[in-house]
Amino acid sequence: MYAVPLAETRLAPCDALNRELEALFLAREDDEHRNPTPSHIPQQELYESRFNLFHWPETCVRELRQFMLDGIARTVLAATTLQPQDLARYTLHNHTWFHITRYAGSFISHNHPMASWSAVYCVRAGEPVPDRPDSGVLRLFDPRQGANAFRDPANASLRPAFALRSLDLRLAEGQMVVFPSYLYHEVTPFYGRDLRITVATNCWFF
Amino acid sequence: MTPFQPQVVPIFATPLGLVNLPGVAELNPAVAALFAARATAERADPGSRPPLMYRSRDDLLQWTDDPVRELTAGVIGAALSVVRALNDFTDEEFSALQLQARAWFTIVRPDGNVPFDSYPNAAWCAVYCLAAPELSPERYDSGLLRLHESFRATMFSDATNALIRAPYNTGHSTWRPTPGQLAIFPAPLTHEVALLRGTGELMLISALLRFIAPGQTGLPWW
Repeated sequence: MYAVPLAETRLAPCDALNRELEALFLAREDDEHRNPTPSHIPQQELYESRFNLFHWPETCVRELRQFMLDGIARTVLAATTLQPQDLARYTLHNHTWFHITRYAGSFISHNHPMASWSAVYCVRAGEPVPDRPDSGVLRLFDPRQGANAFRDPANASLRPAFALRSLDLRLAEGQMVVFPSYLYHEVTPFYGRDLRITVATNCWFF
Repeated sequence: MTPFQPQVVPIFATPLGLVNLPGVAELNPAVAALFAARATAERADPGSRPPLMYRSRDDLLQWTDDPVRELTAGVIGAALSVVRALNDFTDEEFSALQLQARAWFTIVRPDGNVPFDSYPNAAWCAVYCLAAPELSPERYDSGLLRLHESFRATMFSDATNALIRAPYNTGHSTWRPTPGQLAIFPAPLTHEVALLRGTGELMLISALLRFIAPGQTGLPWW
């Protein structure tokens, strides 16, 4: 009960698409394409684009758009009592952007008001850091904050489905996760020496 | 028509206490030097993230060095003053409570942080700042103690609730660690120390506190 839905899917093959996306994003990592109204204090080590990515006409972006929005629609159908014909009556709106993260870049814990579903797709995972397994992970916070304030042996070892803890996801290239927009999440400091690139979207239906 | 005179009161309020410790100008550097010398692997907590963040074991209150004893006594005393101010105990009632406390020190180095955490089986978490780098105007959030927002009431946003004033505003709360100052808040509150940017080190003492009332039994280990 009180369960939080989390969907995971993978695009395969994804190498060629991801390399195209990476090249495109790096070429447009400039002030023109930067989010002009960031919701949080901008970090020099993390570039955030405008939220109009899925309006870009490039083929690689359109291919990614198809994969991500289709995955979100499937998640909605799996997590709700809506039938496909019900969902088809609504327009799927989205804000979609990309992040390029360099050494010691991170993104503060946050959620996304005015949206129902959020998703993150991994274009480039960035190099793993052997002694920092939490480098650059997408951390989903347990929404039951404070529920772990009293701990004794009978609740300290709850099975995974019931555990009171955050969920750390080290995304692989081509992987997408979908979760409710109310869920607080963060990207922990990335300590790889290369790049971590992701695409994120918030969706709502009217 | 008579104008409305609404009464608005805070509900679900979370206390954050701040105390400036007096007379620590000479004590802080002495304790900081001790910590720097003893920030060894043998004394580290498993939660350490070397080399960017060092956390000691939580046995600081057992250290016998005079500067450490003096400073930690001040930290605990300051924390007690906040706890006392938040309750309606008489002197007699408050002095009858048995304090249980543990403490550790943390050194955060450039590009390091203290990941999010909260503490079960404790009532209060106090964080005292021993030393902090110069504030960088370009990196406003460097080294901030960030207390996490937890109310999902933020999910519907319009013009009238997005910019609501304190204490009703939403979003994380922050405290800038300032040498000589202590912050204290409920221990179950999720918090972190944001990435430290620039040069210099941030040095903190953290303490967990809980109180046993006369005759109270059944408290779990912590």
